Amino acid sequence: MSGVNLNKVVKTYGDLEIIHGIDLEVHDGEFLVLVGPSGCGKSTLLRMIAGLEEITDGTISIGDRIVNDVPAAQRNLSMVFQSYALYPHMTVRKNLAFGLGNLKMPKAEIAKRVAEVAKILQIEELLERKPRQLSGGQKQRVAIGRSIVREPELFLFDEPLSNLDAELRVQMRVELAGLYQRLGTTMIYVTHDQIEAMTLATRIVVLQAGIIEQVGTPFDLYNFPQNKFVATFIGSPKMNMIEGTANKSGLLLPDFGQISLPKNAPKSGNIHFGIRPEQFTIGKGGDATSTGKITLIEYLGSELFLYITLPSGHVVLVQASSQTQYKTGEELTLSLTAKNAHYFGEDNLRIPLYDEKK
Amino acid sequence: MKKFFAKNGPGYFFLIPWFIGFFCLALGPILYSLYLSFTKYNIFKPPKWIGLENYEFMFLYDDRFWKSLEVTFSYVFMSVPGKLIFALAVAMLLDKGMRAIGFYRALFYLPSILGGSIAVAILWKQLFEYNGVINSLLAKIGIEGPYWLNDPNYSLYTLVMLGMWQFGSPMLIFIAGLRAIPRELYEAAEIDAASKWKQFYAITVPLLAPVIFFNLVLQMIDAFKTFSSAFIISGGAGAPLDSLNFITVYLYNEAFAFYRMGYASSLAWILMLIIAVFTGVAFFSSRYWVHYENERD
Amino acid sequence: MTDLSIQEASEIAHNYRVIRDKRKRRAAITKHLFLAICSLIMVYPLIWMIVSSVKPDNEIFGNISLWPSEFIWQNYPDGWNGLFLSFTVFYKNSIIVTVLAVIGNTLSCSFAAYAFARLEFKGKNIFFALMMMTLMIPYHVVLIPQYLLFLKIGWVNTFLPLIVPRFLAGDAFFIFLMVQFFRQLPRDLDEAAMIDGCSPFKIYWAVIMPLSLPALATTAIFTFIWTWEDFLGPLIYLNDIRDYTVPLALRNFISQDSVSMFGQLFAMSILSIVPIFVFFIFFQKFIIRGIATSGLK
Repeated sequence: MSGVNLNKVVKTYGDLEIIHGIDLEVHDGEFLVLVGPSGCGKSTLLRMIAGLEEITDGTISIGDRIVNDVPAAQRNLSMVFQSYALYPHMTVRKNLAFGLGNLKMPKAEIAKRVAEVAKILQIEELLERKPRQLSGGQKQRVAIGRSIVREPELFLFDEPLSNLDAELRVQMRVELAGLYQRLGTTMIYVTHDQIEAMTLATRIVVLQAGIIEQVGTPFDLYNFPQNKFVATFIGSPKMNMIEGTANKSGLLLPDFGQISLPKNAPKSGNIHFGIRPEQFTIGKGGDATSTGKITLIEYLGSELFLYITLPSGHVVLVQASSQTQYKTGEELTLSLTAKNAHYFGEDNLRIPLYDEKK
Repeated sequence: MKKFFAKNGPGYFFLIPWFIGFFCLALGPILYSLYLSFTKYNIFKPPKWIGLENYEFMFLYDDRFWKSLEVTFSYVFMSVPGKLIFALAVAMLLDKGMRAIGFYRALFYLPSILGGSIAVAILWKQLFEYNGVINSLLAKIGIEGPYWLNDPNYSLYTLVMLGMWQFGSPMLIFIAGLRAIPRELYEAAEIDAASKWKQFYAITVPLLAPVIFFNLVLQMIDAFKTFSSAFIISGGAGAPLDSLNFITVYLYNEAFAFYRMGYASSLAWILMLIIAVFTGVAFFSSRYWVHYENERD
Repeated sequence: MTDLSIQEASEIAHNYRVIRDKRKRRAAITKHLFLAICSLIMVYPLIWMIVSSVKPDNEIFGNISLWPSEFIWQNYPDGWNGLFLSFTVFYKNSIIVTVLAVIGNTLSCSFAAYAFARLEFKGKNIFFALMMMTLMIPYHVVLIPQYLLFLKIGWVNTFLPLIVPRFLAGDAFFIFLMVQFFRQLPRDLDEAAMIDGCSPFKIYWAVIMPLSLPALATTAIFTFIWTWEDFLGPLIYLNDIRDYTVPLALRNFISQDSVSMFGQLFAMSILSIVPIFVFFIFFQKFIIRGIATSGLK
C-alpha cells in the first residue's frame, strides 16, 4: 500500500501562507499530476511530500505512516528534479548506484540493478561517462534511472521535462507513460504544462494560489470544469468566455442574442458563458448565430484556428476545418449550441445545466 | 526537545569546532585581554587591578607609545597609497588582450607571496646595509647613500619600500576589477572623443571605486598589523632610536621580553581600536565616493 | 580613370593602415619594454639573493654584479649545518606544523562553511555575523590571552598552539570563501542526495567536498604558505632550538652576528622559500583566482 494522504496541509514562510490547507488522497498505483500556473504552490506541495520542505500544519502520510517528521531518506520515495541534479563528479554508474550504496545493499545486487535499469532506459553505453558529457535527453534518462533503480514505492517528478526541447519533450513524455505502465508504481508529477498533464495523468489536480481548484481525470477536467479557472486553464487553445445576462427565458449573449436554457437555469444575474473553439460551427445552424470578421488565421496543418472579431468588438477563437481556405478580413457566420457550452455563475462556479445528459 | 535537535542538530554539529575556537580563542581572549589591560600582570604573580593606570601612563607619560604611533601611522600613510598607486598603474598596463600577461602577473605577484617570509626581511636588511647593494647603485650615479638602517631619519623608508614592493595582491584585485568594466564604455568614450586621461578619471576611477575601496581597507588593516619585517629589520627591538618601533613590535616586547602583560594588552586594545576606527571611517566615507553599480540613487 | 582612382584610394588606405599598425606596434613595444624594466627591478633583489648565496663573502657587499668570481656551492651544505642543529630538524618541524595546519584548517573551515551555507539552525545569522566580525580582530589582541591559556595548559614549547587552533576554524576568511563557493553549488544536489538516503555528513563528504576542490585547494595553498612563513607564532611558542621552525632558525642565523656567514645565510634563506616558490609555480591558477575573488592577502 503506498497511496499518499494529505490532510489539511499548510505551508507558511514567515507570515506568508503559500499552501492553504490542502486535502488530497493519492491512490495506490495512480499517476497523479499537479498542474497550475507558476507560483501556485505545486512544487512546494511536492517537496513537502518528498520531505525537502517542512510541513507547517496538517499531516502527510505515505501508506499508513504519517511522515511529517520522517526525513526524506526514510520515506522510501525517489524524485526526479527539473535540473536533473546528477552528481557532476560521479560517472553515470556511480550516480545510479549512489542511493543503493547508502542502503548498504550488497555490491553484486547493486551491479545487477544498475545493469537492469541501464538496459530498460537504453543508457548502457553511457555508464562510464560523467554527466557533463551527456546530452539533455541522456541526462534526463539517467535522472529517471537513478530514481527507478531504488525501486521506491513512490515516484516524484518536479517538472522533469521543462529543460528539454520540444521534440525531446514529446519523446520523453511517451517514454514516461510507457515506464508508468511497466512499473505501475504511484507517481506524483508536477508540471505547468497542461498538455503534459492531460497526456500522462490518470488524475489531475489543478492548483491555484495554494488551493485545489479541481481534482479529476483528464476527461472530467476537460468536459466538466468545476469553475471558470479550470475551464480556461485546461485546454489549448483556451476556452472562449462570453459574459451574458440571465433572464426568464434563458440567457442573453452579446452578438449572438437570446438562447434558451433548461428550467433549472438561474433567472437573473451575470453568467460566464464558456465555449471551446471546436464547439463553434461555421455557417448557420445551432441555437444562435452571429457574424464576424476574420482578423487572424493560425494554420497548424491538421488544425486551423480563426480569430474572429464579432460586431461588439469581442474576439473569439474558432477551430475550423484545415481543408477549407480562409482569408483575413473575410466575413463569416458563426453559430453555437447551448448544450455544448459551459456556464459559470457570478461566483465563478459551474452551473451544471446539461451535465446529466452527457 | 527531540524535535529541536533533529532540526538544528546537524548545523550545530558542523559548527562544533568553530564554537570551541570562537569562545576559547577569539571571544574569551578578547574579553580577557580587555580585563588585563586594566591590570598589572607579569605572569608570575596574579593580575592586579589598577583601573585606568595603564592607559593613563600610555597617554600621559609614555613617549615610546607616542613614538610607536607616529611610526605606525607614518608607515601606513606612506606605504598604502604608494602600494595602491603602483598596483593600479601596473594593473592598467597589464591590459586584457596583452601577450605574456600571465608571465608578468606572476612575476609582479611573486614578491607579495614571498614577502611575509623571514628570508625576504633578511634580504631587505642586507640590501640596505651601508655598504649594501642600494648604496652601491646610488654611488654609481654619484649619490652617497645614507646609513639606511642606522639613521632614524631613513630607517622607516626601507620598510615603506618593502611594503610597496609587495603590491601584488591589490594588483590582482585591480586586474579583476578592470576586467569587469564593460569595453563598450571605453568605445563609447572613444567615439565621444574623450582623451585617455579623461577616460581614466571619468570611467575607470568611478567604476573601479568599490575595488579601490576594498583594496584600501584591506591594505590599511594589513599595514597596521605589520610585524615580522619590522621585527627582523629593527633587530627585534624597534631600533634605531625607536624609529622602527611599530606598535606591534612595542607590544610584543612589552609582553614577551618584559612580561608586562597588562600594559601590552592595553597597547593591543589601542591597536584594535585604531583599526576599527579606520575601517569604520573607510566604510562611512565610502558612501560618498563609492557607488555600486546595482545601486539606485 | 576610375580604375586608377580605386587603386589610389586603396593605396592610401593601405598606407594609413601601415602607419596605424606601426604606431600601435611601437606603443606595444614601449609598454613591453617598460614592463620588462619594471619586472627586472622587482626581481632584482631576489636574483641578488640567489647569486649572493654562492658568492664568496667578500663579494656580497659593495658589489652589484650578478656574476660571482667563483661559485661557492659549499655555502649550502655549510649553512645547512651552520647552526647548533642541522636544518633537517627545522625542516622536519616546519613540515609537521604546516601539514597539520593545512589539514586542520581545510577540514574545520569547510565544516563551518557547510553549516553556514547549507544547514538550517537557530541562531545561524547571529553566528555568521560573529564569524565575520572575527575577520576584523587583529591577531595581536588575542595573542597575549592565548599565550597565557596555552601556558596554563602546558602547551608552550610544543607544536600544539600552532596546530590545534587550526582545527578550530579560526580563519574566518576561509570560512567565508568556502561559504561563497558552496552557495553556488546547486541545492538540488543536496536534495537529491537527501532522497538518496544521505545524512548531512554524507552530503558534506560525498557531494559537497568533491565538488569544492577549487575552494579547498585555495584554502590549503594559502594556509600552507602562511603557516610556512609564520614567524610570530613560533617566536612566541617555541623556545627550544630543537623545536624551531625554519623562519626561527633563520633568525638565529642573523642574531649570531658572525659576519663571515652571509653566504650561508642567503643559501638557507633561499632554501626556506623554495617550497613556497614551488607551490606558487604549480598552483598559480588557484592562488591568483583566490586573491582576485576574495581579496586574500
